Amino acid sequence: MKVTYNWLKDFVAIKITPELLAEKLTMAGLEVTSLDKKLGDFVFEIEITSNRPDWLSVVGIAREVAAITGQKLQSLPKIKSQALGRNPADKACGLKICIEDKKDCPLYTAKIIKGVKVGPSPSWLRDRLELIGCRSVNNIVDITNYILFETGEPLHAFDLDKLSRGEIFIRRAKNNEKIVTIDGGEKTLNQNILVIADKEKPVAVAGVMGGKDTEVTEATTNILLEAAAFNQIAVRQARRSLGLQSESAYRFERGIDLEIVETASQRALKLIQELAGGSCVMAKSSGFPQKKHKSVMLEVCAAHKILGIDIPASKIKIILDSLGFKVKIKAKDRLSVEIPGHRLDINSEIDLIEEIARVFGYENIAKSLPVAKAQINISQTQDKISLVKNILVGLGLNEVITYSLIDREASKSFAQSKDYPLIEILNPLSKEQEVLRPSLASGLARCVAHNLNQKQDYINVFEIAKAFLGSNDLPREELVLGLALSGAKSFLLEQGRIEDKAGPLHLKGMLEVLFQRLGIKDYSFSASQDPLVFSISLNQEKIGVLGKLNKDTLDKFGIKNRDVFMAELYLEKVFASAQLDKKFTPPPRYPGINRDISFILKDDISIKEILDTIKEKGGQLLRDVNIMDYYKGEQIPSGFRGLTISCFYCSDERTLTETEINPAHNLICGLLTERFGAKMR
Amino acid sequence: MDIQALNSQIDSDIANVNSPEALEELRVRYLGRKGVLAQLTNSIPTLPPQERGSFGQQVNALKNTLLSLFNEKQKSLATPAHESGKAPCDINMPGIAQELGRLHPITQIIDEICAIFNRMGFSVVEGPEIETEYNNFTGLNISLEHPSRDAFDTFYLKDYDKLLLRSHTSPVQVRAMKSRKPPLAIVVPGRVYRPDAVDASHLFMFHQIEGFMVDENITFADLKGVLEVFAKAVFGQDIKMRFRPHFFPFTEPSAEVDISCIICKGRGCSVCGRKGWLEILGSGMIHPNVFKHVGYDPKKYTGFAFGMGVERIAMLKYGINDIRLFFENDLRFLKQF
Repeated sequence: MKVTYNWLKDFVAIKITPELLAEKLTMAGLEVTSLDKKLGDFVFEIEITSNRPDWLSVVGIAREVAAITGQKLQSLPKIKSQALGRNPADKACGLKICIEDKKDCPLYTAKIIKGVKVGPSPSWLRDRLELIGCRSVNNIVDITNYILFETGEPLHAFDLDKLSRGEIFIRRAKNNEKIVTIDGGEKTLNQNILVIADKEKPVAVAGVMGGKDTEVTEATTNILLEAAAFNQIAVRQARRSLGLQSESAYRFERGIDLEIVETASQRALKLIQELAGGSCVMAKSSGFPQKKHKSVMLEVCAAHKILGIDIPASKIKIILDSLGFKVKIKAKDRLSVEIPGHRLDINSEIDLIEEIARVFGYENIAKSLPVAKAQINISQTQDKISLVKNILVGLGLNEVITYSLIDREASKSFAQSKDYPLIEILNPLSKEQEVLRPSLASGLARCVAHNLNQKQDYINVFEIAKAFLGSNDLPREELVLGLALSGAKSFLLEQGRIEDKAGPLHLKGMLEVLFQRLGIKDYSFSASQDPLVFSISLNQEKIGVLGKLNKDTLDKFGIKNRDVFMAELYLEKVFASAQLDKKFTPPPRYPGINRDISFILKDDISIKEILDTIKEKGGQLLRDVNIMDYYKGEQIPSGFRGLTISCFYCSDERTLTETEINPAHNLICGLLTERFGAKMR
Repeated sequence: MDIQALNSQIDSDIANVNSPEALEELRVRYLGRKGVLAQLTNSIPTLPPQERGSFGQQVNALKNTLLSLFNEKQKSLATPAHESGKAPCDINMPGIAQELGRLHPITQIIDEICAIFNRMGFSVVEGPEIETEYNNFTGLNISLEHPSRDAFDTFYLKDYDKLLLRSHTSPVQVRAMKSRKPPLAIVVPGRVYRPDAVDASHLFMFHQIEGFMVDENITFADLKGVLEVFAKAVFGQDIKMRFRPHFFPFTEPSAEVDISCIICKGRGCSVCGRKGWLEILGSGMIHPNVFKHVGYDPKKYTGFAFGMGVERIAMLKYGINDIRLFFENDLRFLKQF
């Protein structure tokens, strides 16, 4: 909403600079977003919140200016009926107003003005409208706009001679009725849309926009001036279904003051007579020009309870009176407040408390710090997510955040579960927002693709976010950890550069660290039907996948000549098995002994099984078993691989001697050769 | 014995040695009087005459290699850098380290903000991203037919009646209050969704942090106090703040909170639109109608609530000029935080 300094001065004496006024308005809730000096005036652009339709007018803002600067509002002059120059003798233009449903249109007024001379507006009128961004059309249209901005009541002028005589209808449109609106578009109407019609056809979309056929032109001499109140929801529905915007609809949707309707109409008539001549031959209205004013009770202590400061009843009365409320002090701390017609937003005590705080000034309310008595209720999941993120960051991974909404095609990346239907968005703005992602894979793939395009050598990222799974009943949200690796990590050492090319075992290693840190033991990695993908299980239940993106997926994301490895894990299941309690084991006090065993082994024998068996059978002195080396090549027969494992023996009671560990060592060697067919080297 | 195999054997043997004693032991084994090399030399006369020459040359070559390997190793063992007093490396070479991973800047800001509120006694609670129309609107006193609803354009789900992607974190207010009794002090970080056209300052997905406190005597003065602690902790002790009346359907009185522009210190610049102030959050006293919806007695309980856009806070704090950067996930961007 734009308003000018001089226009405001028509209604209130302003004794402060425009800059200071802007500041005060902002701090009263009318945020001035710009202040420009133009044509010898100052234009304020003000953001009006949707609860305050009364501020969508110069008078409404002037009322606020009066309240916050301690001045008096000069109200609009009431015009006596005689002054309107009505000529009851003219019977030829008798008019009947037919309102189909009073709920749609509680008040409709029409004035018939004959003999107007349509032409350009005088410069003062053109300037004022142009200052607030409204294009001048002709004197009649400009006057209706001027009064709209001044009073907040939208008006419309019809060319009387283009209407069929006698009756004007305010009714719902019939399905498929048509109207060409002033903006030139033909609109097909339906029965949710409220229209103004003559006997034959709709002539305006009520409260939204007039029809082209009946608009006022240079040729017009007789007009019908409409001032009415239309139902907020009806106007909103019509505007939305027709895709129209107008200053008029904007105000009707937010609600207008019934009491201003006739005043606005009379002010317009007076201006028309001044600027375009003519005389009013008939003024008719149907409906209620006023509603009974509500009263709201206000306890002074309620204001104190909300605001935390004491404002005495007398001060409250001054504030509310200045805004146009009528306050009666009922008891010492009890006020009865009568709500004026223009304050549609005030319905209860809390609404009045806000008014008091606003005019008193938020800046005048002291600060305090509450004592939080709330139970400390730490979100367990939240803490575990933080822990996981910190572990992964410790492993050198970078956290990413990718979109939850994706396009349908991208949803078929990697190995996400196909058992659940996709959840579709009813009103996406673009193809990229069609569905909720069933897995994090597409977001991660897009991120890897972007970074590869930017010539990054090594991409190592993770995301923790929701994946969305459809169902016949309610959709499900699953907390998922996604990891993606591509390229090679390289280090420049003193011996030169070495490279570590990412692969699935890197992902496995990271997940193992994660499981270990979370105290999870019973996990396993195994092959799946898809040779590129491995399953991750926890207590025999599948909780995730790990593997390499296939060619189709790489193509989809435009990744060429690079391998991308990815893992996904359902975190809720991981968290359910997490054992974060830690028990202390004393570090060994005596040195231990390492004993290496080198052997060759058939390819199809599981290394994990060997290590597990050794740990199980190796006896009480065996503390750890690790693979020291692994090789294939010339010296190893094909179908075999060479392995060196290192067994660590240690005792809590003494320093071990070589001979003491021989039995265990021999046992292990025996196991290797007999059970696993290993050949010692 | 195969000279080739010896060569590789000695390489690995020497590499494994890490004390002068072990090196001496090894030297004796290879170069000693009865060492491997002596044995090789002694075996020359037993070879056929035509092979003696070339074998002898190979043995000699091996001997030279061994001598130089032992010398080298001896030097490196005998004079450790810290004793020799020489520089242990060329310090102008790049350092060697495992590269550090980073948390996403949005996570860092969320963690920072939640930590500030944790210190004031708030707990972190989260809610689902798919919400009911009731929790997102009606329960928060947002009428579906009122123009105030326009500020909350929302993605709806197909095939699920009245389910949507939450357009703000406020529905968690309704959830948390329905499942608990006051006193409450809660912060809610999370993703929210709005069908906004994408540009440098708008996206269809972003993050919010919601906070609220409910008890018998929570006032607007408390709201001001708590948010001042928050803003100064994030943006520095010397910022100025102002609370401007505003309208939100779920709070009354409502306030938007501005801080003095952190770029121009309030003098006016392009970042603050020459106003000298930056809007950072919306807040207010929880509307009695919200209390009624969750079954709290508004005569007994009062509370405040606030909500902020995390991306906006991050953009202001780090001087980032395009919101899309957060979700492009360029490693060169992420590694700056």
